[in-house]
Amino acid sequence: MPPPLSGWTIWITGFVGKAPALDEFMSFLASDFFIPVLICLIMLTLWLSQSDRFKREKIQRAVMNTSVAIGISTLGVHIVNAFWDPWPRPFLVDDPAIRESARHAAQTVFYYAHDPSFPSNATTIAFAAATGIFLGNRKVGIIVYVLAIGWAMARFYAGIHFFVDILAGVALGVSIALFICKVFMPRVEPFPSWAMNLFRFLYLA
Amino acid sequence: MALDYFVLVFLASMGVYQIVSIFAKLDGICLFKQQWLQYIFGLLALVGAFGWFFTSKERNVQHTVEGSQQLGLFLGAIVASWVVTNILASIIQAKVDTRAVDPGEEKYYKLGIESLKTNTLIGSIMNNIRKARKDKV
Repeated sequence: MPPPLSGWTIWITGFVGKAPALDEFMSFLASDFFIPVLICLIMLTLWLSQSDRFKREKIQRAVMNTSVAIGISTLGVHIVNAFWDPWPRPFLVDDPAIRESARHAAQTVFYYAHDPSFPSNATTIAFAAATGIFLGNRKVGIIVYVLAIGWAMARFYAGIHFFVDILAGVALGVSIALFICKVFMPRVEPFPSWAMNLFRFLYLA
Repeated sequence: MALDYFVLVFLASMGVYQIVSIFAKLDGICLFKQQWLQYIFGLLALVGAFGWFFTSKERNVQHTVEGSQQLGLFLGAIVASWVVTNILASIIQAKVDTRAVDPGEEKYYKLGIESLKTNTLIGSIMNNIRKARKDKV
């Protein structure tokens, strides 16, 4: 049975092939390497960018929390996948209208990914990163949210996720990041402080 | 693909270090005396790395670099790039003079990237070693 809002997949993948420039752009955005590297480089920039040592330590802790949130959100996706795989990728469903439209989109914009569709792993990671960064630096966080939305929408456009996969990824990523940054990391002190001291000793922080 | 990814991150992060060192006043990792040269080098390294990576091959293909491997490669590449940048900066000494600092006069051991504002990485490590020896005596 196709997931809720599966008709949206037919609508968005219907645009694929109509404007080659848009397809190229979406292909670039959907890449496994462009936005993830960009987000990590933004985190690296934040790690080093403050001149004042106290402000630097504050933002470095936020980046460390974000890194933990990214790791845990990836684990969260694997746990969900292990126990619940409700529907296949859009290009593998039984409904011929969805399948053919998504197949054409995936072939043109991306490739046939064969890991589980629900939830969107990329969206989960990107929104976990954006939320973690937002808690440390609002302005940069908004930029990362924009990148995260771009990455998620490009993958929806590419026909490799249903819209519900994207929504679940957003919910999972944001909630895990909030839990890690607001609840988990403050409670596991002094381990984060020990990690910071180790990084400082190694001239990494 | 894994090697290409490593090179992408290595070069891009070298660019990031040069640009960020201007804002963070980390003179010890600067490879150039002039700020504008740092900007140009940084931007060229960043844009060049992405340009090379995405134009040299089709990247949207089924590949074997999984998420955890990507993370490991990313961390390895930024640390390798940090080490190479610091070694080069210690050799070039574009904005700092390591001989100007007398370790005996410093009150505390300077650790972490804070010390890279006034010294290079190798200079800072050497100063700490010298200070430790003086303190023992």
